[in-house]
Amino acid sequence: MPEQLQLLLIFLKSSALAIGGLASLPLLRADLVPQYVADAGIVQALAIGRLTPGPNGLYIVSLGYLVAGWPGALYGLIGATVAPLAILPATSLARRWLLSAWFGGLVRGVSLATVGLLLATGVTIVDAGGSQIWQLALVAATVAVTVHGKLHPALMIGVGTLVGIALGR
Amino acid sequence: MRPVPSARSLARAWFDIGTQSVGGGTSTLFMIRRVLVDRLHWITLREFTEAWALSQLSPGIHLVALAGLLGRQIAGWRGVVVSVAGMMVPAALITALITALFGQIAEQPLAIAALAGVGPVAGGMTIGLALSMARPVLQRGRYGILDIAVVAVAFAVLLAGAAQTLLVIVIAGVFGAVFLTRERPTASDAPES
Repeated sequence: MPEQLQLLLIFLKSSALAIGGLASLPLLRADLVPQYVADAGIVQALAIGRLTPGPNGLYIVSLGYLVAGWPGALYGLIGATVAPLAILPATSLARRWLLSAWFGGLVRGVSLATVGLLLATGVTIVDAGGSQIWQLALVAATVAVTVHGKLHPALMIGVGTLVGIALGR
Repeated sequence: MRPVPSARSLARAWFDIGTQSVGGGTSTLFMIRRVLVDRLHWITLREFTEAWALSQLSPGIHLVALAGLLGRQIAGWRGVVVSVAGMMVPAALITALITALFGQIAEQPLAIAALAGVGPVAGGMTIGLALSMARPVLQRGRYGILDIAVVAVAFAVLLAGAAQTLLVIVIAGVFGAVFLTRERPTASDAPES
């Protein structure tokens, strides 16, 4: 299979099989690291996705760019845009299915697994970035701030940047 | 029957939503409600709530599904295309441009040092968001143990590299369809309409 087509399919698949914007991350990491991009690239894409406007899930466009330049960004955008629209025909054709108990259970099972997969991916990212004391302190602070939900995420990235410049050399 | 807005004004509304909501998630959701329900009255609060509940069942980014559902409600299939493109394309362009610009300086020692600090933040955000996602899904009491078990198994399997990510998701979906059907997770979270 041509490489470009393969990349497009990777991005489509990651969005089609995940429920929620960031939920595509474990699947993308499994397919892209380390063949196409290093963990540092994942960090960069996550940070840029949070600093730029639009849904969080747009980190996938940044990651696409890092993997394959502008065509890669387009693959990311296509994957992020096309997959969720499956809900449109589904609501017309199979509304009864969507409201059934087993479908609710399926969504629930996938969502719960996604939580576990995302937690593991977060740990992997932390591990790959280095585990000095000040870095682990940053992790703990960010987890607390994110769960609490009061501080703007862009601010936390700013803090990380400054701390990194001060201590990361 | 409400009048159908022009493609231009519809695109304009979604452009505002896509470009003025930094940080994603709830801030984008808040913007959608404020612009479409409160300011332009193209959507009633009831329609918004229904579309939100349905969008939670979609694959990928829920906000894209929400934009598609609301766009269809406002202006049919033309509304879907204009709404989703209006929200996503400008924001995606900005995202790719910033990635390209950062690429120019990524090899500088200062940028490498900065990334040593951004890495823990990105990892911490991923962990924090996962915990936030768990909150509305997890049930209390006896059944909650089953939910936590699914989270824990997925976590351990991926960290140990024992199975493919895709396999974990498929098995969890089947497991959920059979064993986790007691209540629908989204309907209970949605505000009463």
